[in-house]
Amino acid sequence: MSDPKNVKVLTCVEFQEQLPQMFVTEGEIDEQPELRGHLVTCTNCSSLVRDLEYIAEQARMLLQPTHDPSPDVWSNIQSKLGNDGKSN
Amino acid sequence: MLQGQLMNETTMKQPGIFRRNPPIAGEAEAIQAAQAGDETAFAKLYTLHKRRVYTLCLRMLGNVSEAEDMTQEAFLHLFRKIGSFRGESAFSTWLHRLTVNLVLMHLRKKGLQLVSLEETINPSDEDTPKRDFGSKDVRLTGSVDRVTLERAVAELPPGYRLVFVLHDVEGYEHNEIATMLECSTGNSKSQLHKARLKLRDMLRNPETLGEGAAR
Repeated sequence: MSDPKNVKVLTCVEFQEQLPQMFVTEGEIDEQPELRGHLVTCTNCSSLVRDLEYIAEQARMLLQPTHDPSPDVWSNIQSKLGNDGKSN
Repeated sequence: MLQGQLMNETTMKQPGIFRRNPPIAGEAEAIQAAQAGDETAFAKLYTLHKRRVYTLCLRMLGNVSEAEDMTQEAFLHLFRKIGSFRGESAFSTWLHRLTVNLVLMHLRKKGLQLVSLEETINPSDEDTPKRDFGSKDVRLTGSVDRVTLERAVAELPPGYRLVFVLHDVEGYEHNEIATMLECSTGNSKSQLHKARLKLRDMLRNPETLGEGAAR
């Protein structure tokens, strides 16, 4: 545990400059006292972090494939395969 | 077709497994037969994987016509290269990577120099997400549905969209993305962060979103 007296107080600018390097592993912010300290006191940055984590979490919904190609795609593939076969 | 739909329903309940390595019944036999030149087996592989390949293309390109062209190219490429699949990774992972590489090649041919994302496909100033030093507290939590998110992703600038789709949707690591896009991992992280900030801006004002690539 870090001594709270020795933890640097970050401004919003400093905190948000470090944000791109975060979210690589879960709980990364919690492991850094400076970042955690700022989040505890800043509702704006904590709201920002919460939203960005939420977006990353919701992105997983998009993994489920939901779009089908038109039937033309398969027709074109068959046609091209047929042409390739004839030219060989 | 029915089998593909059933498998989708099954695997959708298992996101952890489905994420990069979905088990698909009958796939191994179809691969073996397709490698021996069986066109019916190839048609089965198309049925099993067309949705995932097309959706990936659509999300990376944000354009239906180009996505269909790239889906076609991906399966034609698959037909020619399937003999080289040795089963060292899951077939879907292999096909997925093949598709990503084809789409990236297509984007490079179109003139998008992916070597330096920051300099070449960064959006203009008005597209750059603003840092948040004190705006109104509108919480997103619980408010975003799939269709809205899909529309917002479709409206992201190309560089942001690529990294967001590859990392947050498809689950690639930053070092993998950096290799694919020939950029630094720091660059990949930076693009991802900007993409999320931009999405946050858009999702706070969903009424401004168009139809995008979502259908």
